[in-house]
Amino acid sequence: MSTAFSKRQKAGQRLVNVAAGAALLYIFIPIFVIVLFSFNEPKGKYNIKWQNFTLDNWANPFVEKELTSALWVSLRIALIATIVSTILGTLIAMSLSRYKFKASGAVNLFLVLPLTAPEIVLGSSLATLFLNRSVDFGYATIIIAHVMFQISFVAVTVRARIRGFDWTLEQAAQDLGATPSRAFWKVTFPLILPGIMAAALLSFALSVDDFIITFFNAGSLVTFPLQIFGASRVKISPQINVLASMLLFTSVALMAGAMILGRRRERRHTGTLSK
Amino acid sequence: MTSVVSAGKKWGASLASRPENVGLGVMLGLGFGAVALAAQWVKGPSSLLVAIAMLTMVVGLIYIAFAGGIEARKSLAPYGLLKPGMIWLCLFFLAPLWSMVVMSLSSKAGRFDFFPDFTWNFENYRIALTKFRPQFIRSFSYAAIATLLTVVIGYPLAYFIAFRGGKYRNILLGLVVVPFFTSYLIRTLAWNNILADEGPVVSLINTLQITGVFESLNIMQNGKLMNTPAAVIGGLTYNFLPFMILPIYVSLEKIDVRLVDAAMDLYSSASQAFRKVVLPLSLPGLFAGGLLVFIPAAGDFVNAQFLGNPQTTMIGNSIQDQFLRQLNYPVASAMSFVLMIIITIIVLIYTKFMGTEDLA
Amino acid sequence: MNTRRTTTPKSVQASRLNRRDFLIRGGLMGAGALSLPALLAACGSDSGSTSDTVGGGGGDSSLFFENWPDYMDEETIDLFQTASGVSMKYTEAFNDNNEYFAKIQPAMSKGNAIDPDILAPTFWMAARLLQLGWVQKLPKADIPNFAYLRDDLRGQSWDKNDEYHLPYQSGIAGIAYNSKITGRDLKSVSDLFDPAFKGKIGMLTEMRDTIGLILMGEGKKIADITTFDQASVAFDKLGKAKSEGQIRSFTGNDYVDDLSAGNFAACVAWSGDVLQLSKDNPDVKFIVPEEGGTSWYDTMVWMKGSENGDAVAKWMNFLYDPVNAARLTAYVQYISPVKGVQDELVNMGGDNAKLAEDPLLFPDTATFSRLQSWGALVEEEEAKFDEAFASVTGA
Repeated sequence: MSTAFSKRQKAGQRLVNVAAGAALLYIFIPIFVIVLFSFNEPKGKYNIKWQNFTLDNWANPFVEKELTSALWVSLRIALIATIVSTILGTLIAMSLSRYKFKASGAVNLFLVLPLTAPEIVLGSSLATLFLNRSVDFGYATIIIAHVMFQISFVAVTVRARIRGFDWTLEQAAQDLGATPSRAFWKVTFPLILPGIMAAALLSFALSVDDFIITFFNAGSLVTFPLQIFGASRVKISPQINVLASMLLFTSVALMAGAMILGRRRERRHTGTLSK
Repeated sequence: MTSVVSAGKKWGASLASRPENVGLGVMLGLGFGAVALAAQWVKGPSSLLVAIAMLTMVVGLIYIAFAGGIEARKSLAPYGLLKPGMIWLCLFFLAPLWSMVVMSLSSKAGRFDFFPDFTWNFENYRIALTKFRPQFIRSFSYAAIATLLTVVIGYPLAYFIAFRGGKYRNILLGLVVVPFFTSYLIRTLAWNNILADEGPVVSLINTLQITGVFESLNIMQNGKLMNTPAAVIGGLTYNFLPFMILPIYVSLEKIDVRLVDAAMDLYSSASQAFRKVVLPLSLPGLFAGGLLVFIPAAGDFVNAQFLGNPQTTMIGNSIQDQFLRQLNYPVASAMSFVLMIIITIIVLIYTKFMGTEDLA
Repeated sequence: MNTRRTTTPKSVQASRLNRRDFLIRGGLMGAGALSLPALLAACGSDSGSTSDTVGGGGGDSSLFFENWPDYMDEETIDLFQTASGVSMKYTEAFNDNNEYFAKIQPAMSKGNAIDPDILAPTFWMAARLLQLGWVQKLPKADIPNFAYLRDDLRGQSWDKNDEYHLPYQSGIAGIAYNSKITGRDLKSVSDLFDPAFKGKIGMLTEMRDTIGLILMGEGKKIADITTFDQASVAFDKLGKAKSEGQIRSFTGNDYVDDLSAGNFAACVAWSGDVLQLSKDNPDVKFIVPEEGGTSWYDTMVWMKGSENGDAVAKWMNFLYDPVNAARLTAYVQYISPVKGVQDELVNMGGDNAKLAEDPLLFPDTATFSRLQSWGALVEEEEAKFDEAFASVTGA
């Protein structure tokens, strides 16, 4: 009986392992395809069918001028939007995690709403507002839109990261004679910084990759995803895959870096930051 | 007359003594004012009045903060920190929703009338709900199937990472997230390579001669995988999978392993232990994941556009088409609003049962 | 990537200068417009890469041309910049008439200028822009090479005196098919509805080309169609084919790939694309159906609010120089609106000379007679067409 039990249990375990492995494989298949096709030498306009291996695309990643400039537009927008939204979102997160106050429940709900509204609703409604107010579409409207969905994201992420933060540390510093602002910048801020950085990094990635909301609010400005959307109707060059792979590798490097850095910090301040 | 003044003074004093109410009041006032200005509830000179009122509130608040001492500042602080972000959301999230509602009840004078007038035109909603009913139904059913699939695919992986990941947990989690740092559109287009008629999957199916099986399951149509409902649902499943895995992982991670061991001893089989202990404890993650997958999937139009055919279009495609090609802003807004209402109802029911914390 | 780019050896360029010189002068005489700026511009284009100071108008003038993707070779832009001294911004974000219209509409409807000076809308969209008053009269006095405009493209109903537009490229919409998949040669519009090709048929998102072809298949003359009711038969037919699963997808230029990969057995297609594709894949063929094909053209229009009239004139004049037009033709492989291109292609020699004999680039009179083009549709009728088409495409 017991051997049968453990046999069945083992089989079940193996099944879970296989399913998990298959899921991970599933996640990576398209990524593999994207990277693989960045080494393709397509015959026609479309980089869909595998032809020949070449390093040319990686040697000349920026020959597609419009693609490159679209990428720059996206990075510029993401940088500004992320700075603004990280500041505003972090303030909200600190307010929610540090203080107990009336309406915090309502604020919580309000914060979650932009995250749960479909992007197409956010994008089209914001565009309607801009149309009504005769605002010209361009950099400003895209940045406004991105900050709008990033604020909630940053606030929620940072709040989760600093949920267990020990605010009495700051009080202790003040008791030892530090001014409140000094206590904040010298004690609190360095401790919550990794959480803020992580949120900023993720919201930067969200901004660079946003398509639907941007599509409605871009006017004739072309961001990286919009350029790809346009290209998908006409011509998909391997450079698209090259730049996408670059973005991927950069974010992997950044994430790995953040992980290692976070681990070191955690080791240094064991106990002050709960996970 | 004097009584009014003294009453006002008293009221002012009582307000100043309860700075928390002031903080809350000013926040609401500023938010309301921002929406009023952005959504054009007020126009012309009265908008100036609203602006002045908002300015007065800010000045009054600063006065109280300075005059009220450290205690007052402390109870004002949470609202002070909230204010900039909240006003941004009022201006660019709430006010747009209002504009959308107004637009959805407007009518166009001509094809190239870009500033439709508000006329209580419910015709837009009739069009949205009749002409575009198939798209609505398709959106919600595709999103529902995709959500189920993300559970089936994502749960074992989350389970594995949480209970068997050991010290590799973070790396495994990273592996789950990393692919989603490539562009969304490119990821979707990559499925085009994979599912193409002469691509690897179809040729494998053909070699194994199991096309019939897939055809009967309605996954393949006329021997093709691309441009079928299955391809669209597959794309949705793929693109939103991490939104399912991460919340499930978070809730599984909280489970004490000893609890699972105890359950193993208690119940006769591992599957029973799973059903009675692990599954119930991971339900919050499942529900959160469900919402986080279902909502964006229901509003998506990229997958249907890249992987679908003319009979797999979703409501997102229709909204996008009406808005950005037909320039029919009123009908597009009506569709957006209906989509938003249906989803809000789902979210509200959800929060009623689960609370908002788990969404994070 | 650059398989189609024609790189001309320097020596060939030099030897052509004389001929070009002659042609331009001839064009000037012909147009009877011997204005000084035009002459300077013409001289400028003569100078080629030898000098960049001769260009008329000085180096500070600039031009922004927003075009369809992959619709221009870089060499032409470089040559123009050196020849004219105009610094040119060239982008290719115009990838859908309706979408681009939606993008510029908020600014243009308020009377604000948009960034590009010149856009490349398809003729019917150009007509709409004109009707809305969003385009300016071209400085034709400064475009002497206008004389080279093909006669059949002159005096279009929506711009009777050719004051507001110059055609950029023209072409034919017909049927393309992959003979490996079809297993037979196609010749008629009705082949698109052959049940044997179920789920393997592509249609264009460009409504006038798709519906036009089907209407011709039904024996209608599309030039005569002014109301939606006259065309509803085509929409019914298309809608029925869609619900039966005959149609795989509605595409832009991306049908090229589906066709080549075998995802499409046949589709409505544009001549130039298929011409390029058939070089790589001889199975892919293009036909003008026996019932007829649609003829279309993309235009260049000068947007209201743009103040770079001089540069606009220089650019258009440059493109209408048959030598430059021929270089462009060799790259895009559509039907040039410029007279004299065929001779220039012959002069270019090599593969380009072969293009001069291609019936899809220079259709014979028999083919020409089978082509039809759409007239103008009034606002409300056009709206009905667009709505109906949107619902057929599923959106």
